[in-house]
Amino acid sequence: MPEDAQDAGAPAVKQTTFSRHGVVSALLGLICVAAAALLALTWVHHRSDVAERTHQTAAMQAAIDWTGVLINMTKDNVETSLQKLHDGTVGQLNTDFEASVQPYRDVVRTLQSQTTGQIEAVAIENVHHDLDAPPDTSNPPSELPAGMAARTDTVLVVATSVSQNAGGQPQTVRWNLRLDVSDVDGQLLISRLESLR
Amino acid sequence: MRNFVRVLLIDVVVPVAVLVALALMGLFLGWPLWWVAVASMLALLVVEGVLLNLYLVRRDRVSFGTDDDGPRLRLALVGLVTALLVAVGYTRWTVPDRDLRADTGEVVRLATAVSEATATFSPQDPTSSIERAASMMAPEQGAAFRANFGRSTQDLARKNISAQAQTISAGIEALGPAAASVAVVMRGTQQTPGQPPSRAVLALRVTLAKKEGRWLVYDVVPINQVPPGQR
Repeated sequence: MPEDAQDAGAPAVKQTTFSRHGVVSALLGLICVAAAALLALTWVHHRSDVAERTHQTAAMQAAIDWTGVLINMTKDNVETSLQKLHDGTVGQLNTDFEASVQPYRDVVRTLQSQTTGQIEAVAIENVHHDLDAPPDTSNPPSELPAGMAARTDTVLVVATSVSQNAGGQPQTVRWNLRLDVSDVDGQLLISRLESLR
Repeated sequence: MRNFVRVLLIDVVVPVAVLVALALMGLFLGWPLWWVAVASMLALLVVEGVLLNLYLVRRDRVSFGTDDDGPRLRLALVGLVTALLVAVGYTRWTVPDRDLRADTGEVVRLATAVSEATATFSPQDPTSSIERAASMMAPEQGAAFRANFGRSTQDLARKNISAQAQTISAGIEALGPAAASVAVVMRGTQQTPGQPPSRAVLALRVTLAKKEGRWLVYDVVPINQVPPGQR
């Protein structure tokens, strides 16, 4: 620091050696250093906020892509769709994938339906109440083993799909889904699928 | 010693700091073309200044830093510029970021409260939940809401039907400095005397706007309501 150097260098001859200009300059210099430090702090803070929002947008997009495949399954593309969905999952959902999508697969196959799905709303979940859980148990934040995902965001997806059955009335299915999107080695994968009811 | 400090501060640190500041401003601005032009011009001036200073040192044995005409003006300028930068950075990033975080909580709280109130009805006190919802809305929308639901409540009260709604999940779809859209998924339970309670999941979109520093609800619409013709 300049002041230290000045103080240590010439304490006795301060009056004569340093003009007012010198003192004012040193003060301004100090202010500059403080301002620069503050600026750097602000910038770092802002960057992390921006990164947070960017990540949330990416998580929402991953949820949209995944749900888009799920709600647009028809009998013709059911196998490729399921493969695509399976590839987009991780953790428990990935392991038990066959079991958890079996009902969907059966319905799609037997109905012989043409389905068109549309996503109506996507949001990063801010509030969640598990109405069926006993009051004193807390909801597990993630079903992934600890340390596997860098972070997990919960995304709320509301969608509608209309199934056109052979000869029947069009059937509307409403989806109120809650998806956990986990960042595993930079890849955004679905780690939990919950239908809100 | 004194001269060494002055040379170090004025002749070495200042030009380096200016160059760093130019680069930082470019980083903040995302290197637009105009700043590339301005910054390279200014950087060239700084380099020229340093070279001129070196030449003067060789010729007169006195640099800008050790010249007794005083470095106050230069430092004052640098101080002013830095203060401006901090002010700009503060208002452009810190305040909006902090507002955004505060708004997130407030907007979701309002949206879930209004949603629950619109789907709650008690025959003993038919207007209370309507009043509660309307109080969180903008004046015109609140009046329209009261007029719309006032009529249907009389019918519900006559049949002794009661309804409750609880939020399962809610999240922000979009949030700007003055407008927001929140998705709310609720479980609604309706009880009609002599019948088992019916349960349904309702998804609502609540739009809000900020007027005079206060968030108000402007609209509450079902998200995936099927158009009548498609059923």
